[in-house]
Amino acid sequence: MGIKDRLKTGIQKNLNQKYIKRLLGIIAKKPILYTYGSAFSSVSDKYLNIFTIESLRDAYSDNSHPVGFGSLFVPYEMLHALEITPFPPEVMAGFTAGLGIASQTIKQSASNWYSQDLCTFHRSASGALELDVFPKPDFILATNLACDAAQKSFYIYSKKYGIEKNFYLIDVPYHYSKESLKYLTGQLKNIYMDISSKTGREPDYSKFREVINLSNEFRKWAIKVNDLRKDLTEYPPYFNALNYILPFHVLSGTEKAVTLYKHMYRELKKYLYTQQEKNGSKKNPPKRILWLHLKPYYKSEIFDILKKENCIVSFEEINYVYWPELDPLKPFESLAKKMLSHFLGGKIDNRVNVILDLAREYKIDGVVLFSHWGCRQSNGGARIIKDNLKKLSIPTLVIDGDCVDRNNSSHGQIKTRMQGFLEILNSKT
Amino acid sequence: MILDGKNNKILSYAISPTGSSSKNAAKNAFEDTLNKAKLKSRDIKAIIATGYGRINIPFADKNITEISCHARGAISLFPDLKTVIDIGGQDSKVIKLDNGSPIDFLMNDKCAAGTGRFLEVMAKAMEIDLENFAPIFIKTDGKADITSTCTVFAESEIVSLIGQGVDKDKIIKGLIYSIANRITSMVERIGLEEPVCMTGGVAKNLGVVKALEENLGVKIKIPDEPQITGALGAAYLAKNIG
Repeated sequence: MGIKDRLKTGIQKNLNQKYIKRLLGIIAKKPILYTYGSAFSSVSDKYLNIFTIESLRDAYSDNSHPVGFGSLFVPYEMLHALEITPFPPEVMAGFTAGLGIASQTIKQSASNWYSQDLCTFHRSASGALELDVFPKPDFILATNLACDAAQKSFYIYSKKYGIEKNFYLIDVPYHYSKESLKYLTGQLKNIYMDISSKTGREPDYSKFREVINLSNEFRKWAIKVNDLRKDLTEYPPYFNALNYILPFHVLSGTEKAVTLYKHMYRELKKYLYTQQEKNGSKKNPPKRILWLHLKPYYKSEIFDILKKENCIVSFEEINYVYWPELDPLKPFESLAKKMLSHFLGGKIDNRVNVILDLAREYKIDGVVLFSHWGCRQSNGGARIIKDNLKKLSIPTLVIDGDCVDRNNSSHGQIKTRMQGFLEILNSKT
Repeated sequence: MILDGKNNKILSYAISPTGSSSKNAAKNAFEDTLNKAKLKSRDIKAIIATGYGRINIPFADKNITEISCHARGAISLFPDLKTVIDIGGQDSKVIKLDNGSPIDFLMNDKCAAGTGRFLEVMAKAMEIDLENFAPIFIKTDGKADITSTCTVFAESEIVSLIGQGVDKDKIIKGLIYSIANRITSMVERIGLEEPVCMTGGVAKNLGVVKALEENLGVKIKIPDEPQITGALGAAYLAKNIG
């Protein structure tokens, strides 16, 4: 049994705060342990694991850095500018699935009256919170952008910690207009100032400019990676771009995100070169899939089926760089523009247009929408997305599943749907 | 099923319950078909496994989903088909075809309601032979409303309806409509196009077929032996590798 497996087994048997904190302490001090095994197959994965663990270590350590919980779509650059350690409960919920403890955290959330039709990212996070395995936050920052559950769940989290007064909701308007930009810019500035005053972190605009520049640098490398992927017909083993949620969102504005995406670019570029050397132009190139929404974060055979049926995930909508370059001299307005530019905000047409563009740019043969339980912003548009892709003669598979709760997914059915869909794609000339 | 690839003639087939081991069930069915066709395993050129246990069949050359196999089997029987409705014991699916190839499909969600198992459980709960469902459906006027979408809760609902003195025949008709309504919504989601064929064991239940025809307003084609359509398709697809 490898170190990773032993850690997992340990966690399953000993789900308590002390044990998890100790465990996180061990892997935080020696992040290389966590990367043992599969991670060495991909340089990007190795960096992903190290940076993830380092971020967790900071949140769990007793240093002077304040800790702020954030929902996925908040502008984390504001926290980095104040040198506040971000802690993303939704991403942690993904880890509970990966570590095999989600059934316990979800069970705990049910015991605490969280509704069963709530998304399991939020349920698992709430269960982990109830089990007291998260670090105590100094404040909580959420947004209504894209996700309807975060704003409510995160407020409940703030009540649990008795910090309702330190709960901030970024209200992103439905429409992008001059007025909405002004309204959102004002909100971000007020929240920044309030967090600054409550945490005792002095506003530092020179630091903010530095963070915005890093965010732009990360954006530049992410675009380079995304462009490169248009030519890839194979990926390094274990590379799965749906794992990069934390750096793409939470680490945006840090050196870590820049380093990771630089490495990812170099790794993929090298891989592309060796691939071309080895294969030339393949007689039977793989069918190219565009992946919508997220994936199961527990062990799942979905991606093995793709490989077996000679298909690759060419791109994922979640990795699309949707925002314009930020202006370091206008940080709040830039971040407001970034939030208002999100294709998951506003009308479904925004998302559909991005999907259609990506389908053309990545020469997509088929689209998979993983319809995560309770995620209404994603599931609700399924029919419209499918109908629009049909106009481009691109078939869409909608899989009803759960990214976090393994027990809420019918594996035989998911496997059959995926394989059946890929058989249809492969039968097309 | 064993298919003579040269003249597309079915030489033999066997139907057996999966039980606790799909591997053993497949092995027994394979031996059974060989015996019936008076053949040896060395006479078989290619084997395709399909259905939920398809990946656990060690003697198969390849596994292909029941989606592709049912579509291929149905097309071999009715070449101009546009829609296949398959209701089996495990799940139900609707497959859309274009020029004889599947282009889209939908499967029921994870609940057993909408499958053959639903009808089996209900027949047992009502202590009525499943074969009697169709004649009861045809002769009965009016139906009970079965509101539940879950097999287990539907069973409780039936017990409650019986307790209220609701006519058993009307309950049966209500059950048949319950399954037909679920399938109708799947057909409408994928887009109804004629001709339509129904495969799978439930196609033998004329009550369900009639309810579906009424809901969809179309005549549904039924193979002589709907339960083996998937196996027939698998055998046709085996010709590509044999």
